[in-house]
Amino acid sequence: MDRQQEYVLRAMEEREIHFIRLWFTDVLGILKSVAIAPAELEGAFLEGIGFDGSAIEGFTRVYEADMVAVPDPTTFQLLPWHGERHGTARMFCDIHTPEGEPSPADPRHVLRRALKRAADMGFSFYTHPEVEFYLFKSGTGRSTNPLVPLDSGGYFDHTARGSTNDFRRVAIEMLESMGISVEFSHHEAGPGQNEIDLRYADALTMADNIMTFRSVVKEAALAEGVFASFMPKPMAEYPGSGMHTHFSLFEGDQNAFFDAGAEYELSKIARNFMAGVLRYAPEMSLITNQFVNSYKRLWGGAEAPNYICWGHNNRSALLRVPMYKPGKPQTARVEFRGMDSAVNPYLAFAMILSAGLKGIEDDLPLAAEAEDDVWALTDAERRALGIDPLPRSLDEATRIMGASELAAETLGEHVFEFVLRNKRQEWAEYRAQVTAYELERFLPIL
Amino acid sequence: MTSQGAAGGGRVQSKLGELARAGVADAARGGALLQEIARAGAPTPAPEQLAAVADPDLALLALTRVAEAPGGRAALARAAAEQDTWRRLLAVVGGSAALGDHLVRHPEHVAQLSSQAIPDAAEVLADDAVPPAGAAVTPQQAASRAALLSAVGADPAAAVPVAASGAVEPLRLAYRAALLSIAAEDLASEAPLKLFERVGAALADLATGVLEAALAVARVQTPGHEDARLAVIAMGKTGGRELNYVSDVDVVYVAEPARASVLEERAIEVATQLAAALQRVTFAPAKEPAIWQVDPNLRPEGKNGPLVRTLASHLAYHRKWAQTWEFQALLKARPAAGDMELGLAWHEATRGFVWNAVESANFVEDAQAMRRRVEENVPPAEADRQIKLGRGGLRDVEFSVQLLQLVHGRADPTLRGASTLGALAALRDGGYVGRVPAARLAQCYRFLRVLEHRTQLYRLRRTHLMPSAPADLRRLARSVRLPRADTPAPAGGAAKDPGMELERAWRDTRREVRSLHEELYYRPLLPATARLSAGEAVLAPGAAKSRLAALGYRDPEGAMRHIAALTSGVSRRSAIQRQLLPVMLGWLAEGADPDAGLLSFRRVSEALGSAPWFLRMLRDSAGAAERLSHALAASAYVAQNVDRSPDVVRWLANDTDLEPRQAAELRAELDAIVQRRPDAASGAEAARALRRRELTRLATGMALRVLDDGAARFAVSTVAGVALQAVFDLAAAQIADAAGGALTDVAVIAMGSLGGREMAIGSDADVLFAHRPRPGADEAAAGAQAVAVASLVMRLLSQVGSEPTLEIDPDLRPEGRSGELVRSVAAYREYYGRWAHTWERQALLRARPVAGSKSVAAEFMAVAEAARRPAGGLGPGELKDLRLMKARIDAERLPRGVEPARHLKLGPGGLLDVQWVAQLYQMRHSFDHPELRVTGTVEALEGAVAAGLMGERDARILIESWMQAMSIRNANVLWTGRVGPAQDVVPSDGRHLRGVARLLGHGPAAGASLPEERARLARRARQVFDRLFYS
Repeated sequence: MDRQQEYVLRAMEEREIHFIRLWFTDVLGILKSVAIAPAELEGAFLEGIGFDGSAIEGFTRVYEADMVAVPDPTTFQLLPWHGERHGTARMFCDIHTPEGEPSPADPRHVLRRALKRAADMGFSFYTHPEVEFYLFKSGTGRSTNPLVPLDSGGYFDHTARGSTNDFRRVAIEMLESMGISVEFSHHEAGPGQNEIDLRYADALTMADNIMTFRSVVKEAALAEGVFASFMPKPMAEYPGSGMHTHFSLFEGDQNAFFDAGAEYELSKIARNFMAGVLRYAPEMSLITNQFVNSYKRLWGGAEAPNYICWGHNNRSALLRVPMYKPGKPQTARVEFRGMDSAVNPYLAFAMILSAGLKGIEDDLPLAAEAEDDVWALTDAERRALGIDPLPRSLDEATRIMGASELAAETLGEHVFEFVLRNKRQEWAEYRAQVTAYELERFLPIL
Repeated sequence: MTSQGAAGGGRVQSKLGELARAGVADAARGGALLQEIARAGAPTPAPEQLAAVADPDLALLALTRVAEAPGGRAALARAAAEQDTWRRLLAVVGGSAALGDHLVRHPEHVAQLSSQAIPDAAEVLADDAVPPAGAAVTPQQAASRAALLSAVGADPAAAVPVAASGAVEPLRLAYRAALLSIAAEDLASEAPLKLFERVGAALADLATGVLEAALAVARVQTPGHEDARLAVIAMGKTGGRELNYVSDVDVVYVAEPARASVLEERAIEVATQLAAALQRVTFAPAKEPAIWQVDPNLRPEGKNGPLVRTLASHLAYHRKWAQTWEFQALLKARPAAGDMELGLAWHEATRGFVWNAVESANFVEDAQAMRRRVEENVPPAEADRQIKLGRGGLRDVEFSVQLLQLVHGRADPTLRGASTLGALAALRDGGYVGRVPAARLAQCYRFLRVLEHRTQLYRLRRTHLMPSAPADLRRLARSVRLPRADTPAPAGGAAKDPGMELERAWRDTRREVRSLHEELYYRPLLPATARLSAGEAVLAPGAAKSRLAALGYRDPEGAMRHIAALTSGVSRRSAIQRQLLPVMLGWLAEGADPDAGLLSFRRVSEALGSAPWFLRMLRDSAGAAERLSHALAASAYVAQNVDRSPDVVRWLANDTDLEPRQAAELRAELDAIVQRRPDAASGAEAARALRRRELTRLATGMALRVLDDGAARFAVSTVAGVALQAVFDLAAAQIADAAGGALTDVAVIAMGSLGGREMAIGSDADVLFAHRPRPGADEAAAGAQAVAVASLVMRLLSQVGSEPTLEIDPDLRPEGRSGELVRSVAAYREYYGRWAHTWERQALLRARPVAGSKSVAAEFMAVAEAARRPAGGLGPGELKDLRLMKARIDAERLPRGVEPARHLKLGPGGLLDVQWVAQLYQMRHSFDHPELRVTGTVEALEGAVAAGLMGERDARILIESWMQAMSIRNANVLWTGRVGPAQDVVPSDGRHLRGVARLLGHGPAAGASLPEERARLARRARQVFDRLFYS
């Protein structure tokens, strides 16, 4: 029993916590939770909590479904929505096999492994996501029961009706009370659409934070009598919910992306990293944009970046180099704009990191900056400029990742194989749908 | 004592003779130098004084230069007036060129040589534990700290001493002066090995004093330093008070806010500046040479971690992230400078990590990995001259002692000292290691350390290499003062070359360190009754259990029973085993399953009893005993077979006995045995026995990794062929005798893996039987006789008996199980010409004759040739047949409950995928391309590349996957000792995986990643298969 574990046990006693939720994430990025009573916690620290993984996406193995969840005491937090007294707390878990090895199916382990590789090269990896999501009053999105956004505000609007603001205040208070710093929040372009930016942190902490964030937002919405969704593209006519994320590598306490003399203050390491991310963007698309619906966001217009290029303050570029703030070398970073809010953050961070590190290892040259608005170009112009599109559908993304050594290596063979199988099935199910579009378009005339 | 004044010409001649006898290499030049010294008015050394120094030429040159330096003459004169000072001066200028240079620049430092610089023995040996709060532990440490603080203008009595400005140079000078006096006393010592511990302590005390003073200097350079409390913790040899002359000084830093009003961030920021400044004070370029480099890389997260952490942050790291080797590094930690209270708090809080490290789940693996690093991390160019690294080097000694400390220190606090020799003495006093080996190891360690010290002193360079130039070796030998008593000069001859003597002594020492390892680790595990001499340690049961567990035995109690059984009694066997077992326990512990290996050895030993050859082998052939240990601990298959016929142990003494035997040789042996047997049944028994013996030989070769997998597959196929031939001959003769004559000639055609010569130990033998009625014989009767022969062959080889069976599988014949067991060649011609399915013709690709009538076989092969190598390749219909067949196998044959990716044979990218690609190419192209006319899978793929039909990369990916799958399959059988469906699956149990990884020649740590590696190669192979097979 180490001190951190002792601290948790003591805190449970002092704050009269009646339940502990053990959290972990399945391969698709859905949060899973096992509640245990405080009396069981000591045993959980020592031996973990065994559970049958066969019902959990990506953990299934016919012959060894037994898994052990080992709580990470450093992630101990009270859950604010259950009240401070007689409350509930949560901890994230690492998933082990009964042998005590990290489970190859655990997304946290996938990210840890990628971070280890970075650490072996002398780097630590920081991320700073801007998470977009929608708030709805009601509706399921079916034609009989359309979605009703909470408001009709637009970008940065201060909505007159206060509930969006109230919601954001409640959500941010909850997040801050859980130790997750919020940097910025505002109304986004779509009606009922909001954005909350989390203060940068190392990638593993941030991935945990994002999982927590999604729960908090959903809880806060429920508390306000509305519901929140991170679906990439809930309404065809409005912008999708992206998760633009800023990345940087540090060597010790030096920002390895910063070089005072270079163009845009971008170091050679940063340029190699960007080249890697761009080179492998199609191969990791299945991870950064993992659902059928993700491709509706990418290819549904409204400023979603769907062409592989980079730019400086170019809103149409997949990778953007933000304006450097003079005198702040620590803030040098690049922004990847492809991801959507429904991503599995562990896997996505691992992929982006691996792609970037590969760029550094192989000394990949960075292509010229895209200065035009790439959406305004013709296909031929884009071809002439060497700007390729991201995959146009889940099907295409699945095929491309299937041949990717980088993805197999980063995710591990088990997760790699599972994701491919799962996505092929998702595509098959999706293809079998008869959509409202087809009915409207064809039923009357055929 | 000193001869003064110039000498006359005649005296010069005799003087030169004296100089030569004193060891001056260039006597003429030496004489000239002496005259120069005298001319400068300085005292000169007497020849007998020169004889006592390491390098008299060097000494004379340095004295000359000092004498000519400003102030030098007077300094020398003062030194000469005092006997000890003069002796030390000569020793230091004769032993260190660098310190001689220093005296030329600073003749005033000659005065340093008059005081005692090395603490008394009592003071060093008293205690090497942590000093009590705030105070230095010994007067020597206090004096060293005070002197250095005074040198930088700081008040030694102050709680937070701050130096005067511009104190970098004075600090460095003060350090040099102190180093000079330590070196002089050391070099002048008659018994440097005895003095070594005290020298190491003096150097460490000097280092901690320098850290304190450098911190005082850093404080002047760091405005706001009052905001942080900073403690400097000495690690490594400084922490253990056993420092080298020239070495990095390993430290970690701990800081806390000085007052409640200071934020933690601020305190860390200031402390980081302080620490960085401290490092610059000792090492940055300045007028006086650098002191040494402070190396803070043992801190949490190493180079990538923050330089300074708070106590809580240190502890959080150790709780969560630290690895076994980091705990081992903490063992030597000691608060050295700065805020002692904080340092002690850190020290106390980290002890739990050190002494509980042995409980961590990975301790055994980590410790083994660390030992491998100790033994293997030697740059090849230096391997031959390393004093520190490699087996038998200093690091090896230190590691051995530390591992024992970690294992037993948890229960016994007396073992928790930080110095190597102190800990060794404590282990000896506690009865954890034998007195004699402990004393010998201590002596070896002292000798190696003194060698290292002397080598470093010459130029004050950080080196751990033995010099190789004769002059350097000679100087080293003279300065180490090898005891002459045990190296008498040959009678009447010239004295032996001291350099050569030293070289020999060094190599002997390394060898001794290596052999002492077993004495220290394993000998004390033997029960008291097995004691060879009175001075031997015998561990208490609890300690023995901890040690066995730490060395990798999973069932220490069981192991202790076996050890007791093997060493008890008065027989010659137990006497030999008492000698041998400690080292065998070490070899067994290197294997994947030491417990099984030990049990198995006990059985072998009991079975062979006192067979003289066995005892002789154990006693005389260390190689054989080592191999036996390794093979038994690596493979249950080998252990079972050794159990069954222990005399196979004989082979282990001899390399050639483990090589596969040739087919002709085996055949001749078998024929001779079979002739002596009365009937076919007992002849077949002999054939099966021979096969068992050969499989054991091959398995042992594979378990020891002296036989590669490809050669093993070939040999396993050869042995099966030989057994099949012999049994066929017996069966054919018996049937013919019973029927009053042969009506037909039968041939056995090898198919499948037997045909491809790629059988594994557990493989069935795939065959076809063909016959040709003799002229005039009744066709039906001839056919019946052929079936009788084939059935008898199968029965003789596969009926249950005392010898293992060889399953004969004839299912690849036309129409499979529903087809006739034997057909005539004419019937085969008819069938393959008109009726055969494409896949039946495909099966013929691996056909080759293996037994029976050669002419029938030749006729059959002509039929097969036409069927398997169609002119013009395969038509569209045939291609479709093959592809459809494969798709059906994929869909239907995989057993339930097995994850497809883990199935080595039928899974995606598995053996079958690769084999079918190879055979598809053969069917399509072997008519045109002779390169493809082979029966082996790998050869076929290589042939396809050679014929320009397949890309080299594609073939490589397929071959890699195939080879890996075959090897894992084989290792499954060797590890478990069982043949069956489980051999075709990548194991999921961790121990099984580790065992398989070892058999494949990887480290045990590779076990966990084996499924991942298999999945990777299989995935790539599947991609190639998809592309090549279906398009």
